[in-house]
Amino acid sequence: MKKKVLLMSPAMFILFAFAIVPLFIMLYYSFLSDSAVAKFTLENYINFFSKGFYLKLTWKTIKMSIIVTLICIVIAYPMAYIMAKVIEKGKNLILLLIIIPFWTSQLVRAYSWLVFLRDGGVLAQFLNKIGLIATTDMGILFTSKAAIIALVHIFFPYMVITIYMALEKLDNSVIEASKSLGAKPIETFRRIILPLSRPGIITGAILVFVPCLGSFVEPRILGGVNGSVIGTVIEDQFFEIFGWNFGSAIAFILLAMVLLSMGGMSLLLNKEK
Amino acid sequence: MLKKILSWFYTAVVFIFLYAPIAVLMAMAFNESQYNALPFKFSMRWFEALSQNTRLIDATKNSIYLAAITGVICVILATALMLGSRDTSSKIKALVNSVVMLPLTIPWLIMGLSLLLLLRALGLDKNFVMLLIGHVVISLPYAVLILSARMQDMDKSIEEASYSLGANEWTTFRRVIFPMISPAMLAGGFMAFMISFDNFVLSYFLIPTGTTTLPIEIYSSIKFGFTPEINAISTIILVLSLAIIGIIAAIMGSSLKNLIR
Repeated sequence: MKKKVLLMSPAMFILFAFAIVPLFIMLYYSFLSDSAVAKFTLENYINFFSKGFYLKLTWKTIKMSIIVTLICIVIAYPMAYIMAKVIEKGKNLILLLIIIPFWTSQLVRAYSWLVFLRDGGVLAQFLNKIGLIATTDMGILFTSKAAIIALVHIFFPYMVITIYMALEKLDNSVIEASKSLGAKPIETFRRIILPLSRPGIITGAILVFVPCLGSFVEPRILGGVNGSVIGTVIEDQFFEIFGWNFGSAIAFILLAMVLLSMGGMSLLLNKEK
Repeated sequence: MLKKILSWFYTAVVFIFLYAPIAVLMAMAFNESQYNALPFKFSMRWFEALSQNTRLIDATKNSIYLAAITGVICVILATALMLGSRDTSSKIKALVNSVVMLPLTIPWLIMGLSLLLLLRALGLDKNFVMLLIGHVVISLPYAVLILSARMQDMDKSIEEASYSLGANEWTTFRRVIFPMISPAMLAGGFMAFMISFDNFVLSYFLIPTGTTTLPIEIYSSIKFGFTPEINAISTIILVLSLAIIGIIAAIMGSSLKNLIR
């Protein structure tokens, strides 16, 4: 037993001291005032919740994360269904090809959308040639749409994998039974397939929604002047304004949102099981 | 039949969405135009410019250095952790698991900030050691995941045979366990290397003044005006990442399936 503790302790110590303890230090700073002699105060939190700007910002961040999550579900569900139930050959290859971009640098991918969505860029010229848009201006870059597209691009592999795993477990004979009992395809989907794959959707939603809440690179690079979300405002507090205590408070509110949404969705998931 | 055709069509559309921006990015690295503009004219000038750009080269060296140390430390920590925790009670296992996976659930933004605040609380300046610790903390879960995926496939009876033949723990580790898990250790090390090499957020908050890493350089170039040199370096990064994924996949083989269970 002693040996086991000895083996486990280095990793556990590092994680405890440098992942858990710092969060409490952050909590501590979030209650400090900015005055020359720092004292304990609720000011930072009151500031956040009493100003319309921050509440709007919070709602904007949540809305963006919800939109990204919903788009991911809509795109990923058919893909996962195709992999699990339609094609027989080449499943693993498709899975691999979906996961690969996931393992490439987040910054490089954000940058690739910057190049791709540019006014007069490759996509704009292509859409112009086939007559979908009148000029070679896209008008997407530096709006929140661009940030949403990039976030979907980054996180939807998660959603494909979790839904795929749920559908893969779903026994084909259940679907056959529904069909032979006379259910239309749409009814089979609504009453059999969708409910049985819901745990996959919820797990995927956790994996997409939570990192979206804390994102700041994509909104910063692609979202333009109006692209600010909680993440970018926290970054500003620490790097531009040096309001560290207030920044800590916002970061802690973000952490609370992350933990609450994870907890809520895990509850949903347990209900399913 | 129609269902199959529609399925392949949908798959193709998804893949275009996934790969088109990356493909355009890479193509533009070989395009003469300074503004990623068409028409396409083949040129190596951005790679040549890159080879002269000492700032980016230094940043790359720093990133490799940091990622290599992170990789080694993560492998050692993860291996010890897995060996120590595998025969413990399910309660301890659950505790270990939730602590190890914590850095995966907390946004990196918050991890970076809280470590910055730890430095302030300790009265220290930003330094290399804290940067390294930050990278270790966020890369460790991935190394652990890879190692545990492999260890699930390990046959316990071989180890027991070693003990019953009179080998002590050290001999058993050296001659039985280590040869069995060393490929996974290598794969876990590469994984940690890649996570650290690509990481921008942690470095952004913890990098000591005056030094830089590749992702930080890319970020500031994107923010303050960029040239296709960024396309060129991105292309190199993408190719390298693909190579590392290939290595990890080759080493792990069938154990990869344990990862997404």
